[in-house]
Amino acid sequence: MENTETKVARLHIPVEHTTLANGLRVVVSPDRTAPFVTVGVYYQIGFRLEPRGRSGFAHLFEHMMFQGSENAGKMEHIRLINSSGGLLNGTTNYDITNYFEAVPSNALERVLWLEADRMRALKVDDENLRNQRDVVKEEVRVNVLNQPYGGFPWLDLPPIAFRNWPNAHNFYGDFTDLDAATLDDVGTFFRTYYAPNNAVLLILGDFETSEAFALAKRYFEDIPPHPLPPRADVAEPQQKEERRGEVEEKFGPLPAIAIGYTVPPRGTDDWYAAAILERVLHGGRAGRVYHRLVLDKQIAVEAEGSADIFDTNGPTQIVTRIFHKPEFSSDEAIAAFDEIIREVQEQGIPEDELDPVKVKFRADYYSMLEGGMGSYMPRFGLMHYLACFTLFDGDPHRVNTILEGFLAVTPKQVQAAARKYLVPQNRAIVVRRPVAMGAAR
Amino acid sequence: MSTPATIVTNRSAAPALGPERPVAWPKRTLRTLSNGLQVVLAESHGFPKIAAQLFFRSGNAVVAHRAPGLAEMTAKVVRTRTASRPSRRIEEDLRRMGADLGTHAGADSSAISIAGLAEFSSGLLDLVADLARNASLPAEEFERERRQKVEELRIERTTPGFLANERLRRVLFGEHPYAIVAPTEEQVAAYRPEHLAAFYRQHYVPADALLLVVGDFSSEAMLQQIEKVFGSWKAPRPEALKSPAPPGNTGRRVHLVHLPGAVQTQVLVGNLAITRSDPDWFRLALANSIYGGAFHSRLVINIREQKGYTYSPRSGAHPLREYGYFSVHAAVRNEVAAATLTEIFYEMDRMRALPVTAEELDSARSYLSGVFSLGVATLDGIVGQLSTVYLERLPENYVETYRERIRALTAEDVLAAARRHFDSANAQIVLVGDREQIADQAALFGEVTEYDAQGGRK
Repeated sequence: MENTETKVARLHIPVEHTTLANGLRVVVSPDRTAPFVTVGVYYQIGFRLEPRGRSGFAHLFEHMMFQGSENAGKMEHIRLINSSGGLLNGTTNYDITNYFEAVPSNALERVLWLEADRMRALKVDDENLRNQRDVVKEEVRVNVLNQPYGGFPWLDLPPIAFRNWPNAHNFYGDFTDLDAATLDDVGTFFRTYYAPNNAVLLILGDFETSEAFALAKRYFEDIPPHPLPPRADVAEPQQKEERRGEVEEKFGPLPAIAIGYTVPPRGTDDWYAAAILERVLHGGRAGRVYHRLVLDKQIAVEAEGSADIFDTNGPTQIVTRIFHKPEFSSDEAIAAFDEIIREVQEQGIPEDELDPVKVKFRADYYSMLEGGMGSYMPRFGLMHYLACFTLFDGDPHRVNTILEGFLAVTPKQVQAAARKYLVPQNRAIVVRRPVAMGAAR
Repeated sequence: MSTPATIVTNRSAAPALGPERPVAWPKRTLRTLSNGLQVVLAESHGFPKIAAQLFFRSGNAVVAHRAPGLAEMTAKVVRTRTASRPSRRIEEDLRRMGADLGTHAGADSSAISIAGLAEFSSGLLDLVADLARNASLPAEEFERERRQKVEELRIERTTPGFLANERLRRVLFGEHPYAIVAPTEEQVAAYRPEHLAAFYRQHYVPADALLLVVGDFSSEAMLQQIEKVFGSWKAPRPEALKSPAPPGNTGRRVHLVHLPGAVQTQVLVGNLAITRSDPDWFRLALANSIYGGAFHSRLVINIREQKGYTYSPRSGAHPLREYGYFSVHAAVRNEVAAATLTEIFYEMDRMRALPVTAEELDSARSYLSGVFSLGVATLDGIVGQLSTVYLERLPENYVETYRERIRALTAEDVLAAARRHFDSANAQIVLVGDREQIADQAALFGEVTEYDAQGGRK
C-alpha cells in the first residue's frame, strides 16, 4: 500500500536535555553512525552587548579564550584537540559566542575537560592580550580593510539601520577601541558573562546519552555560577522613515547596494511568514530578486539575500545584496527592486510558487542540520540550532517541530507580511560607492 | 576538595584518549556502463538527501592554449537551458526538488553537481542527464554570462588573494596550461557560441566520465535509473592534449604585484611539488601538517601566536592532475613583510635540517588521520573524499587505508619530504601590496620583478 504522499520523510533528531545544579544547560543528541563527536559551548553574549567604548571586544575576548586556562596553557587547547585528530574553532555572533570541536569519539572526555577548564578559570596575561590584539587587527585588515567589499554589508548596514548602540556599532571594532582594551576588561567580561548559568553545553554524535550526561556532570557541575546582569535593552525605537547611507568602496569597481528590512519578533506568526517571504525573494536563481535583476532586466551581475532568522535574539534584518552594472544608476537598481516588492504586496504569491519555496526551505533546513560549516565539522548546524533554541526559546526540542511553522505559512500570510514589513519606514539602504567611479552614478 | 564518593576527577591533567573506534567508509557499488561512464554509488542514510556529481576529465587546461577559461564559460551556460527545459524551468525544477545545482570547470575537469531531497532522486538524476546530454547553450544566456564574467574578473583584479595566486601559477608553470587561473577580458570577449558548442560536444561525453552518487537511496534502484538516463548516451572519446613542461625555477625571485592603497601585504611563497599519485604524497602531507598545514603547526605558532604578524597563515600541497605545487601564504601588516618571509624560510629550513620531535610526529599523524576520517560523518565529506579517489584514479582502498599509511610514517620520512619538496633555495616569492610600502623589504629576498594588478609587467 505505497502512498507517495506518506513517503515524504520527516526527519526526527533524538534530543535530550538537562540542567545542572549550577544552571548549565546540557543538550545531547546521540548518533552512532560514525565514530565522531561534536561538542559546543555557547555563551549567551555576543557583540551586541559588548561594553561601550570597547567596540570589537566580544570578538577579541573570544580570541583570548584560546590563550590559556587554569590547567591548559597557551596553545594547549589547540594542541590537545589537533593531536586527538580533531578540529576546533570559535565564532562571535550578535547574541552568542560559541566554542566548538569535532573529534574522534575517543576524545570526548578530553574535550569536555578542556571546555570546563576554560569555563572555570581563564588564565591569560598582558602578553597574550597584545598578541591577540595584533592578530585581530590583521583579521580585520584581511577580511575588511584590504578586501574589495570587505565587511559588506554586515558592517555597513547596522549603523545606518539602527539607533540603539548595541545594534548599531562596529562589531569588528575600531582600532582605537581595540587598543584601549585592558586585561582588567578581559577579567571583568569573563566574570560577567562566562558563567555556567549563561551557557549551554552541546554534545552530539557517537556516545551513549547516559555517558554524556555523566561526563557533563563530572566536569562542569562544580563550576560556580554567578549572578548575571539584567538583560540589556536592545530594542530599537520605532522607525518612522526610510534610512539611507553611503560607504566608500576603496577597491571594487562595481556599486553594491544592501537593502535591509527589520524582521518581526522571533517566534511570532509574522516571523515565520517573513522567513518564507525572504526565500521567495532570494534563494538562488529561482528567487524573484535574482530573476528580475540579473536574468530579466540584467541591471545586476549578482543579487542575493538572506536573513539571520534562527540565530539572533534581537533586531535583525532581511538583507538583499545587489552588485549592479556601472551603466545603471543605483536608483535604477533600487527602482527595479521596489517593483518586485510592490508586485508581492499587490498580487501576493501564487500557491504554485510558494509550495516549491517550502520544499527548498525543508531541504535547506536538513542540510544545515547535517553539515553547516564545511564538510569537516559534522552536525555543526544541528549544534548551532540546538544552542539557539535552548538559549533563546528555552526548548531544544524545537529542532524537531519548528519546520512545521514555516511549512504552514499561507500565501495570504506572505502577502500580509510583505505589506506590513517591506515598507520604507522599516528599511535601510546602504550603497558601497567605488571611489574609482568618481561622479558616475 | 571533595568530589562525589566514587569518582575522583583529576582536574589538572587532560584525560587520556579512550580506545579508538573503527571508521567505516560506506561500501561502494561500482559499474562501468557500455558507453564508458564510470558509476560509483555510496549509500549514506542519516539524512533524506542525495548528492550526485558528474565529472568530465576535461577542464580549462585543454583549451588554455587557444581560449583560456572556455571550459568554465561552457559550464556556466550549460545550466541555463536544454532542448526540453526553458531557462526558467531548470531553476524552478531545482526548487521543486529542494535542490542546488552547480556547474563548474577547474583546470582538469568539468562537473555538474546536484544535491537535493532523496524523495526526488530520479528527478535529480534526470536533470543531470538532461544537462549533460541536451544543453542548448543559448546565445542570449551566453552573452549575459559573458558580461557577468567580465565584471567578476574586474573584482578579482582588486582581490589580493586572487592576484597572488595568479602570479605564483604564472611563475611556477610558465608555458604549461596550469599557469593560467583566469582569462583576460579580451579573451572572454573572443569566445563565440560555436566555441562553447564545440567544447560541449567534444568533452561532455560518457567515455572517461565519472558519476558519483552519495546519499539516502538504494543502490540497486539507483543503478537502474542511471542505466535508463545515461545508457543510450554515445559519443567519441576526446583526444588527449600534450602540454609543455613547466620551467625549473632556480634561485629565489620576488614577484611584486602593486595594489595601490593596500593596507596589508599578501605573502605567497611556492615551488613545484608532486601529485597525489606520487609515492611521496603521504610524506609531504605529513610534513606540511607539521610545517604550516594545521592550527597547531610551527609556522602558525611562530608568526601568529608568538609574533602576531597575521591572522590565518597556512601552507598546503596542491595536487593537480599532471603536476603539483607546494605553497605557503600569510596576509600581514606592511611593516613585517620581510620579517614574515624570514620566518617562513626559517621554518622551512628547520624542517629540512632537523628531524621533527617524536611528539610533533605523533600529534601530526593523529591530526591528519583524524581530520581525514571526519569526512565520513557528512554527505559533503564523503562526496569530497570519494570524488578525489575516483577522479584521480587512486587505489580503491585509498580511504580505508589512509589512516594506516599516515601512521606508518617516521621522522625520517618527514625530513626526506621536507628536503625534497620545501625547496627554500628556489622558492618563488609573490608579494601583493602597495609598492611604496614594501618594495625595500621585497628587495632583501632576491631580484624583484614588478607587475600591475592587470597582470602586466611594470
